[in-house]
Amino acid sequence: MKPELPRETSADAANDPAAPSRGPRRWLFRFGAVALLGAMAVDALAVVGRHTGRPLLGSIELVQAAMLMASSAAIVSATLAEKHAVVHLVIDRLGPGVRAILLRIHAALCMIFFAALTAGSVWIFYDLRDGYEESELLRIPYAPLRAISILAVLSAAAIYAARVGAGRRSVPRVGKRRTTR
Amino acid sequence: MTDSPLAGLAGVAVLLVALTAGVPIGVSLGLVGMGGLTLMLGLEPALIKSSVVLFETLSRYELGVLPLFLLMAHLCFAANASRDFFDAAARMIGHRRGGMALAAIGGCAGFGTISGSSLATAATIGLVALPEMRKCGYSDALATGAVAAGGTLGQMVPPSGALIVFGIIAEQSIGRLFTAAIVPAITQMLLYCAVIVIVCHLKPSLAPATPRATWAERRAALLRVTDIGLLIVLVIGGIAVGWFTPPEAGSVGAVGALLLCAWRKRLTWTALGIATRETLKTSGMIYVVIIGALIFSVFISLTGIAGQVAAVLGAVSDSRIVSLLVMAALLLLLGSILDGLALMLLTTPILLPIIQQMGLSPIWFGIFLVRAMEIGFVHPPIGMNLFVIHGIAKDVPIGTIFRGVLPFLAADLLHLLMLILLPGMVLALPKALGQ
Repeated sequence: MKPELPRETSADAANDPAAPSRGPRRWLFRFGAVALLGAMAVDALAVVGRHTGRPLLGSIELVQAAMLMASSAAIVSATLAEKHAVVHLVIDRLGPGVRAILLRIHAALCMIFFAALTAGSVWIFYDLRDGYEESELLRIPYAPLRAISILAVLSAAAIYAARVGAGRRSVPRVGKRRTTR
Repeated sequence: MTDSPLAGLAGVAVLLVALTAGVPIGVSLGLVGMGGLTLMLGLEPALIKSSVVLFETLSRYELGVLPLFLLMAHLCFAANASRDFFDAAARMIGHRRGGMALAAIGGCAGFGTISGSSLATAATIGLVALPEMRKCGYSDALATGAVAAGGTLGQMVPPSGALIVFGIIAEQSIGRLFTAAIVPAITQMLLYCAVIVIVCHLKPSLAPATPRATWAERRAALLRVTDIGLLIVLVIGGIAVGWFTPPEAGSVGAVGALLLCAWRKRLTWTALGIATRETLKTSGMIYVVIIGALIFSVFISLTGIAGQVAAVLGAVSDSRIVSLLVMAALLLLLGSILDGLALMLLTTPILLPIIQQMGLSPIWFGIFLVRAMEIGFVHPPIGMNLFVIHGIAKDVPIGTIFRGVLPFLAADLLHLLMLILLPGMVLALPKALGQ
């Protein structure tokens, strides 16, 4: 049993108006999983290579790119699964009516936060459109990576917007504690 | 808002309200930070700075250590390694008076090396150890108190999620933090063992002696933890002696855990899918918290509130020890209304500059802060570990669990005091290893 890692049930997903259909969720997960396992493999190979005299040139740049993809997918996954860390001191002690209002406000604040990050990221992306940013050794272009990070925060904002519209809870029900490491 | 420290103070107050009202921690930190930056610098710099923080955090190589260690932990769960540590310790010392409680502490320390989480450690070892202890006639208070307190070792024993987050937001070496945590984790474990020995000596009926396991049973239990033990020694030892950096250690550990799963014939597509899916969800939560915390710390550093707090602390006393005791009291007080991560992220940008001004090591402060966080896991009213244990042993009243954890809480406070008075406990090992 791992209390901070509640498994999302199919009922949860079915009740979430913000939840995309199984197809996009599956592809989101596959995208993140492949990036994560890729980062793991490259970094482990780099260690072996360094200790056997065959260093893997540019491994850090590959891991950085893979981790950006994995962490972008991770943010959307955590948002879909309502896994964001919350202090439960007050929220678990409220009546259902007040609680529902408060949770809607929380969802609106989350939407504003992710929307602000999206706006700032698009701003930078636009400013750097002719900058040809790339990594030093492998010349990995940064523009697609920036686009992925924008897509992640935009998706999170959209998920919360849907929850605000539907008045959906944004933190777990009373008695279902969700905590942080 | 021309007076910057006042703006900082207002920001902290708004943040406390948002956190206690249940706004997600990362979003609270990020919104307060963005709001403060907007008031002080304007909307455009606030949005641009926040988005720079976003991209830099997502692409930061050092932060890869977090999902990789999480993946390692989930693969170790898939390999069914969670109960092996307790089983091995119980076979070795379980027959002594209080031995099962000592085994629970040992199990928590062992499991902490793969979980990095206080709650996961308390829950997992609790599920295994509590029924065993109760079957052996142990008092409910001692059994639940030992597991609740032992669970906090998960946060201190490297690789610790809390230390990784601290390392990122305080820009400190995660490898040094891991090495620095080894002696405090061992002394914490020894103090808990001392509590059990003393309590059982004073009241033997709390923990009756049980039959001794045969040497064949002991050998079998030890063999079951050999593979995972070697993996942990490789990962932690590799960082300590400089074979690899913490992110590389995470990768090596995750590959090792994959091989371990295969070795134990538990590597399936389903197991791999669950491990990666859970890793992604937990990582996503922590990434948002870190992004929010970094935006908040940019705002706090602009306000200069740390200088004001330092002046207040200086006015209280010239003594460094007294200042640290005041800080410890503040952390424990805030720990009674905030959970550990929120406490760390709120206080690090304010207290870390003060610690550096006092000439103390940020590495020492990281260990001190995590130790204070751990205490919050076992003291009311939040005391998350106590509620986790209550969830496992529903027939044990929460009051009994509180009573059971009190002697361990005393040991925690003593340990915190030791860290303040003897900073060498933290800094000697990294220094000896040339880190």
